[in-house]
Amino acid sequence: MAVLTIKNLAKTFNVGTPKASRVLDDISFDVRGGTFVSIVGPSGCGKSTLLNIISGVEEHTSGDISLTSDSGGPARMGYVFQDPRLLPWRSVMKNMMYVQNDRSEETVARARKYLDMVGLAKNADFFPGQLSGGMQQRVGIARAFAVEPDLLLMDEPFSHLDAITARGLRAQLQDIWAQSKKTVVFVTHDVVEAVELSDRIIVLQPGGRIYEDITIDLPRPRRQTDPTVATLQAEVLGRLEAMKTLSRTAAA
Amino acid sequence: MTDQLVGAAPVAPPADPEAGAKRTARRRRWRLTGLVILGWLALYGVWEYGSWWFGSRLLPTPYEVLLSAVEIVESGNFLTDFSASVLKTFAGFGVAAAVGAPIGYLMGRYNYWRAFFHDGVTIAGTIPAIVYAVMSLIVFGLSNLGPILAVALVSAPYIALNVAEGIRGVDKSLVTMSEAFGRTPQQIRKEVLIPTIVPYVFAAIRMCFAVAWKVEALTEVFGGRNGVGFQIRTEYQLYDIAAVLAWMFLFIVFMLIIERLVLAKSEARLLSWRPQERSSAL
Ligand SMILES: Nc1ncnc2c1ncn2[C@@H]1O[C@H](COP(=O)(O)OP(=O)(O)O)[C@@H](O)[C@H]1O
Ligand SMILES: [Mg+2]
Repeated sequence: MAVLTIKNLAKTFNVGTPKASRVLDDISFDVRGGTFVSIVGPSGCGKSTLLNIISGVEEHTSGDISLTSDSGGPARMGYVFQDPRLLPWRSVMKNMMYVQNDRSEETVARARKYLDMVGLAKNADFFPGQLSGGMQQRVGIARAFAVEPDLLLMDEPFSHLDAITARGLRAQLQDIWAQSKKTVVFVTHDVVEAVELSDRIIVLQPGGRIYEDITIDLPRPRRQTDPTVATLQAEVLGRLEAMKTLSRTAAA
Repeated sequence: MTDQLVGAAPVAPPADPEAGAKRTARRRRWRLTGLVILGWLALYGVWEYGSWWFGSRLLPTPYEVLLSAVEIVESGNFLTDFSASVLKTFAGFGVAAAVGAPIGYLMGRYNYWRAFFHDGVTIAGTIPAIVYAVMSLIVFGLSNLGPILAVALVSAPYIALNVAEGIRGVDKSLVTMSEAFGRTPQQIRKEVLIPTIVPYVFAAIRMCFAVAWKVEALTEVFGGRNGVGFQIRTEYQLYDIAAVLAWMFLFIVFMLIIERLVLAKSEARLLSWRPQERSSAL
């Protein structure tokens, strides 16, 4: 069953002013429950805008979005940002609880479980300023999973980290996702990362249209060293290069 | 404290590579302590000489002032009047916060209100404290409300400006994060907005306090019914200069203690989440 359905979505910033700019144009796709979908595209093509519209932080100009939840109530969303976005004046555990709707024992236990899964159980009482950037980002990931979201949105969560830390966190994300089977929409400009993590890759082109919708049918867990992963990564990268050449000739 | 540190330090073994540096630091600390003591001695000397020159009726000797201070403290008057003055100072802060904080909030939040209040608040902040003291006397005459109003008038502009600054310092990305996780406006206010402005408000209070207690005492001198300033006026009318000076020195010492210890300590505790403050506390 589709958790997220998007139909003919368009977004124009500064509508009705001379600065008006269309960022997303006629986007339609749906995301089935329990799948990991990546949105890939060059920087500035509207990926973050799309996530912000899905999360409700940003308004859309036209089209429809619908979300369904398992419980039948309003859909719960989790969001992992490019930067950790933790409250600096609250401990790690208090940050985890800030986004929760209740303070029940069960909820506290769940928050602890996800902190443990990202390897930070011992740091629950630390302030964010006492953690490294990578650790803070792990808190951000644990926080989003711990709300048990119907839909988990991630916006280039590893792009501010060094390559080694990022690789470690990608492996950790794969493990957590395999256990929790959350529905994830993951934004990245990094095709290699997208192939490693996703069931499906939606490629956005400059101008905010869907260029291609690619299914990634590889066994999990996927590791960088696996040659079949590397082959597919090279192939998808090739297709993206073709898109770039195409849009460059179209522009010329 | 310096003495204890030096006294407790074991004799450094010659192998310690830092021993030389430590010894230099210790010597410098001793020299500084010596200079401070010399400064006090010089001050004492000038005072003694001054009271000999003017006569101790006009300028009592340090010893006479000390005796007078002991008498004031022993009689119990000091505690009563000192707490009256402190209470009035904090009541003034309360009024200043009640008026200044909402204005600051509007100024930080909306450009419209910022434009409306900006010049008025800035001017109010630059008016000399003595003017507020006189205005309060004119409004309330001989009353406890005069000192409170003076403190409030001096402090409110600072509080407004600092709260406005704090509101503008709010991290928008934390607000977006809160909204993405479905937090309510009340939750965002409590968890994001307030913690951001608390340090700014504290800075305002500390800055104001230094001025406020002097204005408070000054207003009491002219129009108080109790408090340290009132006692200074009474002793002055009795021409007891030693008591005037004793009240003054006691007040200064205790206000500095409040300023340095109470305010600074509670600020450090409230802001313990800041990495640098935390490491120094550990
Ligand atoms: N609030 C805004 N007002 C006007 N333009 C915006 C705003 N936010 C983003 N944009 C523009 O929309 C385009 C897409 O931005 P974004 O979604 O952040 O791209 P991406 O995440 O793919 O790098 C960019 O050209 C950006 O300048
Ligand atoms: Mg982006």
